[in-house]
Amino acid sequence: MLDLIKRIFSGESSSPRDQANSRLRLVLTHDRLGSSAQLMETLKEEILEVIARHVDIEGNPEVRLITEGKHAALDINIPIKGR
Amino acid sequence: MENKNKDGQVIVVTSGKGGVGKTTTVANVASALAKMGHRVVVIDLDIGLKKLDLILGLENRVIYDIIQVIEGECTLKQALVKDKRFPELYMLPAAQTRNKEDITPEQVVALCAQLRPDFDYIFIDCPAGIEQGFRNAIAAADQALVVTNPEVSAVRDADRIIGMLESAAFTDIKLVVNRLRNEMVRQGDMLSVDDLLEHLCIDLVGIVPEDKGILVSTNKGEPVVLNERSQAAIAFNNIARRLSGEDIEFLSFDDESFWRRLTRGLFSSR
Repeated sequence: MLDLIKRIFSGESSSPRDQANSRLRLVLTHDRLGSSAQLMETLKEEILEVIARHVDIEGNPEVRLITEGKHAALDINIPIKGR
Repeated sequence: MENKNKDGQVIVVTSGKGGVGKTTTVANVASALAKMGHRVVVIDLDIGLKKLDLILGLENRVIYDIIQVIEGECTLKQALVKDKRFPELYMLPAAQTRNKEDITPEQVVALCAQLRPDFDYIFIDCPAGIEQGFRNAIAAADQALVVTNPEVSAVRDADRIIGMLESAAFTDIKLVVNRLRNEMVRQGDMLSVDDLLEHLCIDLVGIVPEDKGILVSTNKGEPVVLNERSQAAIAFNNIARRLSGEDIEFLSFDDESFWRRLTRGLFSSR
């Protein structure tokens, strides 16, 4: 109870339960994909390679995995050079 | 019992992580089903680290073990230990001085095939881990109960186990949440059952609250389901009833409602 009050007054918004949930979300996504860091790097390189063949890429392209429950999606954000 | 004439189903109880309550779940759900009149056998497949005999209080009755059955030193019938309290409950002990590698998935399948005609439920107490012991334990199973605690490392291991069960073509996988502390969930200090279900995406079959009675029962070598005052006992009994096909509402085990129930019970017994 004291912890709860402390949390409210210190303005800390994220409870241990929230933290557990967000850490789990991340770690389970990675676990389910296997060696995810390497895979993401490979995916990013190959996707960019294909795109770069046809258009000019600029800025910081991003390839990341987002999950919701059992469903996962690749979020690909690749800024392309305008005119 | 309506399924007395058909072959029993094999249920593996697994978790990945050790110490989450697999053996306690096996002992209590099996006892509860036996109490309901079902014919039940529990198989300890934690070879080298056996616990089920102790939890059930049957350690002094063990004569033969599963390896001796498989190696033909005794018959299956000779190795089965009859429970002290429930005439319909039997246990097949693990071997303590052998390894998980001394038995194969095919041998477990053959053993369960021998047991199926004589029992309604065959429970397999799976060892922790994802190696040979796990492969042996799931080989013959028709369904799986995954036991977890509301704690990040247990949930992570449960997720891994569920993935492996799904790869092994299991379609009937159910979750047992053990050692839940409602007051901590309310304060935002513990993962809730809904949180676990959202992460693990499988059906729920039981919520077992943290209960000191478990340790007391374990020390005495008797299943907690014998203790009618225990919250965990109610939870394990409910799991047994759900497994046998009854539609039982999930209890919240909220402190207030429990106390209300308890005091009502005390006064009505006077």
